Amino acid sequence: MSTHRTARRRVLRLAAVLTTSALSISLLAACGSSGGGSASSSASSHGPVTITFWAWAKGTQQVVDAFNASHKDVHVDFEQIPSGVAGGYAKISDAVKAGNAPDLFNVEYAALPDFVSQGAVQDITSLVPAGLKAKYLPQSVEQTTLGGSTWALPLDAAPQALFYRKDLFAKAGITTPPTTWADYQADAVKLKAAEPNTRIGTFFPDDPSTLEAFAWQNGAHWFSSSGDTWKIAVDSPATKKVADYWDGLVSKDLVRVQTSFSQQWTASLQKGETAAYLGAAWGGGVLQGTVAGAPGNAGNWAVAPVPTWDGQPASGMLGGSTFAVSKDSQKAQAAVEFATWATTTPQGIQARIASGTSSMFPADPELLPAAKAAFNTSFYGGQDIYAVFTAASKTIVQGWQWGPGLSVTNSTLKDAFAKLGQGGTIDGALGSAQSATVSDLGTLGLKVAQ
Amino acid sequence: MSLRTADTARTAGTARTAGTARAVAPRRRGRYGAPAVLLAPFLTLFTAATLVPIGYAVYLSLFTEHRSGLGFGPVQTVFTGLGNYTRALGDPVFRGGFTTIAEYCLLYIPVMVGLSLTVALLLDSALARAKRFFQLALFLPHAVPGIIAALIWAYLYTPGISPVVGALGSAGVHVDLLGHPLPAVVNMAVWEWTGYNMVIFFAGLQALPREVLEAALVDGAGPLRTALSIKLPLIKASITMVCLFTLIGSLQLFTEPMILQGASSQVTTNWTPNMFAYSAAFGRNDYGLAAASSVMLALAAAALSFIVTRVTRTRSERRTEAAR
Repeated sequence: MSTHRTARRRVLRLAAVLTTSALSISLLAACGSSGGGSASSSASSHGPVTITFWAWAKGTQQVVDAFNASHKDVHVDFEQIPSGVAGGYAKISDAVKAGNAPDLFNVEYAALPDFVSQGAVQDITSLVPAGLKAKYLPQSVEQTTLGGSTWALPLDAAPQALFYRKDLFAKAGITTPPTTWADYQADAVKLKAAEPNTRIGTFFPDDPSTLEAFAWQNGAHWFSSSGDTWKIAVDSPATKKVADYWDGLVSKDLVRVQTSFSQQWTASLQKGETAAYLGAAWGGGVLQGTVAGAPGNAGNWAVAPVPTWDGQPASGMLGGSTFAVSKDSQKAQAAVEFATWATTTPQGIQARIASGTSSMFPADPELLPAAKAAFNTSFYGGQDIYAVFTAASKTIVQGWQWGPGLSVTNSTLKDAFAKLGQGGTIDGALGSAQSATVSDLGTLGLKVAQ
Repeated sequence: MSLRTADTARTAGTARTAGTARAVAPRRRGRYGAPAVLLAPFLTLFTAATLVPIGYAVYLSLFTEHRSGLGFGPVQTVFTGLGNYTRALGDPVFRGGFTTIAEYCLLYIPVMVGLSLTVALLLDSALARAKRFFQLALFLPHAVPGIIAALIWAYLYTPGISPVVGALGSAGVHVDLLGHPLPAVVNMAVWEWTGYNMVIFFAGLQALPREVLEAALVDGAGPLRTALSIKLPLIKASITMVCLFTLIGSLQLFTEPMILQGASSQVTTNWTPNMFAYSAAFGRNDYGLAAASSVMLALAAAALSFIVTRVTRTRSERRTEAAR
């Protein structure tokens, strides 16, 4: 009897141990299961082809509605997903892995090479005629052409811009927005002197894309390729100059260090404790949506070109989205048809901008008048913000390239930025990111020259 | 539902015992039949939801993906043996996750167990009034889903919007709760689990033989002495069990820091081993590495539970034998 009981107890214990172990694995396994393929048999010859589409860009629902209302051959089934870094990219790549990906999805320029190298994106070179390609800004086409093939259609270019509170700047005795980085720092000092609780801007430790845009603006090339070898230069002098500058601003407490788009950041903008935001064209709509409700904000914001090192206008690209067709989609043609409509027709851009939440700068410059007409600029005191964006778009430095492994670069930077103010520096983060990126590309089996 | 299942199981058990006593022949057939039927649902689910995923994770952990050229061509899946395991172990970030867990346990377990023990002893003492109410009130935080709790705490921690930080600030106390993620996460966990474990301790205390407590009273022990010298040693088994479960649960730390990440950059993407696996799988699409690190984490949890059950069992069995 007693041995029987001991044996049973042993079984129970084993079960308990196994269950415990299973808990930690179940998280991973949950995504491993491959669902049924969604690429169901192609639509019958009658009736519209239905494509599924995942995106998070502002105003997308309105674009889809307008498309569906005016098209009989293709019907778009839209699903709103979280933004890429907030989990959207994970959702897309898991779906691709599981075989139930949408036909079409939005992906930012920076993340496109990662998606392509994972094999998650379909080569659409044969579906994109030269005439269509010629419509887009060359900088955007450059970003969507990888290894000689076309992988996506660009939606917006994202020239950098400085959004600032005119009233707070004036109160601190600043009459014109800064045009050089030296001016920006001087103005930061003035703002803080006038109102000790006010800072000129924010360093986002959770999102390296702003730093990357500054590096791009300064002529850095983090990723470049010759033949079939990648060259990684995250910690080049051009980037180090930018990093040192921001290290200085952070250590002198001239900018805040806050998570991007966090409640904390939003609250400090609403209260006027942060007087400016270094963003990109699309940031205009986001900023308006974020702070317009708070007193003192509407009508007091203005847009200026991003400051530069020598005073000569220059811009990087901060964000910017594309339409990519997923690897297994059987409906690439219909997907490209919708993507073409959304990125190159006045109706497509008009629907997006008129939603009031988007101020994106279309990658097809012919759409600028439509975008400008659709955007209500009262939040910006009636300023012609698209004129600022247009001028900036012409100064986007050419030749920047994103590469596979950027997700590792970014997560290494983020983790290193977490130590800011505790002995860590932005400059130091670059070194870690450089070696992490090189070793990751090696793991992927790619050739790397440092 | 689970209650009813337990009841059914008990009824079936009683029936079987009765049958065994009455006749020998039915016992033979029932010996394997009834347990098999009763265990089948569990075993089916256990296989489908536990064994198969574990097997799949182990399988995934042996492969890695290779690209050629600039990486924009087709992807090849290649066998790498234990390559992913050595990669994870060689990564200081993965090992650092275990350091975080160790620090977390050192702070969390004493605080939480101490608190819930104190509360349970207070409720068990003759002094307590409105026991039912306090039991329920203390247990309530546990009924709040972890994610929602984490979101609320993240809000309460964030300067500029938190009423708590605001009130402290206007009183001249400036705290940076988000700057120190470890105490912040420990606080969330303490809030969530103190009540739950208090119930376990309280149940243990209620089950103590009254005559022992009365004897202590007769011997002149005050409430404090009774609590420390009589009650605590008698519910040692519960305390050990709670510590064990908490320890294993801590290895899986994920939800709270994940949510806090949105508010504080101090919580890195690889803060705990679970988060390392998550970011490897979903941030970098390195499923092999994610599987390898999950398997190792599971092994660590299994080893830990095995060791602790082993240690506690020998001690309690020794005592039983001595009593005999």
